[in-house]
Amino acid sequence: MTVADVGRKAPRRPRPAPGAGRRSPLRVLGMVVVLGFTAFNLLVLYWLIAASFKTPVEIFTKPFALPVRWFQLGKPLRNFAYAWDQAGFGDAFLTTVVLVAASSAAIVLVSAPAAYALTRLGVRGSGPLTNLIAVGMGVPFQTVIIPLFIGLSTVHLTDSLFGLFLVYVALSIPFTVFLLTGFFRSLSDEMEEAAAIDGASPLRTFFAVMLPLARGGLITALILNAIGLWNETLLAIVFLQSQAHFTLARALFTFYGAAEYQSEYGGLIAGVTILVLPMLVLYLVLARRIITGLTLGSGK
Amino acid sequence: MADVSFRGATRYYAGVDRPAVDRLDLEVADGEFLVLVGPSGCGKSTTLRMLAGLEGVDEGQVWIGDRDVTALPPKDRDIAMVFQNYALYPHMTVGENIGFHLKVAKVPRDERERRVRKAATLLGLESYLDRKPARLSGGQRQRVAMGRAIVRQPQVFCMDEPLSNLDAKLRVQTRTQIASLQRRLGVTTVYVTHDQVEAMTMGDRVAVLKDGVLQQCDTPIGLFSKPANLFVAGFIGSPAMNLLPARVDGDSAVIAGHAVRLTRGQRAQLSGDEVVVGVRPEGVDVVDFDDGIPVVVDVVEELGSDQFLYCSFEQAGTGDLVEHAVTARVAGMSPNQRGAKVGLLPRREAVHLFDPVTGSRLED
Amino acid sequence: MATIAAAPATQRGAAGKPGPTGTSGGHLVRKRRLFWPFLAPALILYVVFLVAPTIVTGVLSFTRWAGAGDTPQFTGFAGYLRMFASDSFRSALVNTLMYVVVGGIGTFLLAFLFTMVLRDMPGGKLVRTILFFPNIVAPVALAMFFSFLFKSDDKGLANFVLGGLGIDPVRFLAPENVTLTVIGALVWASSGFYITILMAAVDRIPPYLYEDAEIAGASAWQKFRAITLPLTWDVVGVAGVLWTINALKIFELVFVLAGPGTYSPPTAAWTLGIYVFDRSFGSQGTPDYGGASACAVVMIALTSVFVVLLRRLMRRDTIQF
Ligand SMILES: Nc1ncnc2c1ncn2[C@@H]1O[C@H](COP(=O)(O)OP(=O)(O)OP(=O)(O)O)[C@@H](O)[C@H]1O
Ligand SMILES: [Mg+2]
Repeated sequence: MTVADVGRKAPRRPRPAPGAGRRSPLRVLGMVVVLGFTAFNLLVLYWLIAASFKTPVEIFTKPFALPVRWFQLGKPLRNFAYAWDQAGFGDAFLTTVVLVAASSAAIVLVSAPAAYALTRLGVRGSGPLTNLIAVGMGVPFQTVIIPLFIGLSTVHLTDSLFGLFLVYVALSIPFTVFLLTGFFRSLSDEMEEAAAIDGASPLRTFFAVMLPLARGGLITALILNAIGLWNETLLAIVFLQSQAHFTLARALFTFYGAAEYQSEYGGLIAGVTILVLPMLVLYLVLARRIITGLTLGSGK
Repeated sequence: MADVSFRGATRYYAGVDRPAVDRLDLEVADGEFLVLVGPSGCGKSTTLRMLAGLEGVDEGQVWIGDRDVTALPPKDRDIAMVFQNYALYPHMTVGENIGFHLKVAKVPRDERERRVRKAATLLGLESYLDRKPARLSGGQRQRVAMGRAIVRQPQVFCMDEPLSNLDAKLRVQTRTQIASLQRRLGVTTVYVTHDQVEAMTMGDRVAVLKDGVLQQCDTPIGLFSKPANLFVAGFIGSPAMNLLPARVDGDSAVIAGHAVRLTRGQRAQLSGDEVVVGVRPEGVDVVDFDDGIPVVVDVVEELGSDQFLYCSFEQAGTGDLVEHAVTARVAGMSPNQRGAKVGLLPRREAVHLFDPVTGSRLED
Repeated sequence: MATIAAAPATQRGAAGKPGPTGTSGGHLVRKRRLFWPFLAPALILYVVFLVAPTIVTGVLSFTRWAGAGDTPQFTGFAGYLRMFASDSFRSALVNTLMYVVVGGIGTFLLAFLFTMVLRDMPGGKLVRTILFFPNIVAPVALAMFFSFLFKSDDKGLANFVLGGLGIDPVRFLAPENVTLTVIGALVWASSGFYITILMAAVDRIPPYLYEDAEIAGASAWQKFRAITLPLTWDVVGVAGVLWTINALKIFELVFVLAGPGTYSPPTAAWTLGIYVFDRSFGSQGTPDYGGASACAVVMIALTSVFVVLLRRLMRRDTIQF
């Protein structure tokens, strides 16, 4: 033990277990598919970002090359400028940010107390009521848009961002309540009981004890709703008609036909990038949280 | 049947510079029951998993019989493993669990059922064959895991703390069952545990590991009577051996004024003029205060059959009082009192001497 | 101590007699008073915007109504009969079922294949993150990407690559091909989500089970059959339900890929979602709210049937590890 180990070094990568490298045909096939799939996803991302700096000719004739032409002409951001100003993506971006932020916040504001009431107040019938709300996740939007459209148009809330806000908040409730009941259920009773013994009022207990404890869940709910609404298209198409109110997804949808017609492919892809990039950044920062949040709701 | 040998087997884990098992040389004879024991994290499981093929071997080799199995996948090594958590498939019945390996090996259904039934009979599990593991007791689950190993009729059993999930009483019971089963089947067995009592009672031989390095491998009696170093001396035996630092004066070691004789050979092996005197609690006699190592009894633990005295003594030179420095085991119901001043006299033949620097034993 | 023990937080405690100490019992009653104020906003929105409209759609499906300026006329099942007889509905129904069944089988086969590889793959976490990525991209954006990928003339990316390999251009987006193309796109876009769900379940399986199977000499397929599939069965069931719900309402991807974008694609490529949209808000001709509602009713009925069926098929004892 006392002999010094001169020149002995740990291997950089320990040898794998003898069975691990075994190549069954299925594993090889799986490996190829997995790697191909991963590479394809990265390629898609590269293509999208590269193409948003290209001219239409470059897009179609040199799809995998780096953008050149607009850089040579000294207007590298030409496509983005076009989409932002001409195609109205600038206004749509602002609209979307405000609408999504307000809606997500409102959804959590409404859903958190409901989830708390359904899980922690011990009222009989909470279970079936929770299930009833969760069933709403299975209702396709197509089932409700006609009555909603008629109803909202009678109170002049169609082609109105406030009307869409209401629809967004209401239709996101089933998923959010379901997600948050999971979080509230997983909290231990002790803190709440301790607060009760200290004589805090139930309302105070909720705000001062339970909400902070469920903070992780609330943030997850906020993010997931923000992503979902940022990308939402069908309701925006139905409920918004005038360009002044367009959200990004809605603007892109309208721009698509026009771009095809005018061969404005560069602007179109820049528009796609404007829609995708914020989500990509959010995803890069919060991937783990988003993934676990989205799968959590389905795990149990 | 086959013997097992580790030849300089070394295992690193990714991102750790020190090997988890370092140049292990160990021979297990055919049909032998070898126990690997050591404190948590010393590399016992890693050793076993290298043998099973679940862990790669970075340096050295592992042999089973006359085959070098270092690069063979687990299924070709003809071993069976019993996991600490039993690794029972929760969705399969006891019968399906026991027969799973045979099914994978495409053993025909008739023979499979016959062998499963035989293993189940051997372990007293016949009436549970159709149950799922969730509806079994801990002991029964343990037996199913054993059954799954037996039914393979392997050359080597690997068992990783198979009893640690059982309660104390059941553990003692099952321990004898496993040992006798192994003797009956005569299959070479490598058994991992961190419980030295288990190691001493079950093993033909016991290998003591520390920090990935083999300290000693010997029969239980050999380990107990001739611990190779300070670590083994302190680890094997309960309560632990008293290890008392002493200064060498001429041809004897002096502890608090009491002299213990060293042989000339022992003196020569010492690297300095300090020595550690080891004596087990049962190796000391209680005498008058002036006739042995002078101590004060701190605690008297009466077990009826035995009595343990935990004593303090004054460190020579400094005069500090070392509390609970020495434990003595005397006959039950002895009239010893807390606070009494007595002398402790190590019996000549019960004294072990160690070099404090290298830690190794000084042979006579 | 007594207070803690008496503070009833569980359902049973709540329903039982009041605790021995007045404070905790009183606290409970005060707490329960919060129930309706807390639940009401969500519940009201839910009923007004989801439950009631669903019922109204059900009622409208038995009428004939051209929207504003017209009054609904009760026609009984005539609307349904007319719808079932129409080619556009039939192809919408067939296509939708194709998406649900063929796309579902494709997605789940792919996801299962991935679970075999990803479980012990170095860098698997990164791969999973990349695979999941399409799920945070708007379906319209995905659809636009695919329209570039599959453009019929040799402008499209896929045909560009095929041309490089010396293969004639394929008309991916022609009405007779578009359903298959979209199924491919759908499987690509959604498999990451189902892989992630399944992998989360696979990660909960104790590794020693796989080690035991390794000692037994099980192949990748045997490990999947004997361990992965049975021990993730519940999650597979839930994932199947989610798939059904999502695939049944597929809209944007098909709408953009199969058509010119701003108005509806040719009927051969329709889905039920497009049928509803086209009959109510598609900017061509007079709206047919009755017919659209009938189709919407079919959608929700199909969803319920599939979900109940799946639950039945996948039912099994729960498993604890
Ligand atoms: N996968 C791993 N990666 C890195 N280090 C590991 C890994 N597995 C084990 N080790 C380290 O290797 C050493 C030996 O581990 P091993 O599991 O063999 O210990 P053990 O003797 O079985 O302990 P225990 O009695 O607690 O089971 C420990 O220090 C441990 O921290
Ligand atoms: Mg271990």
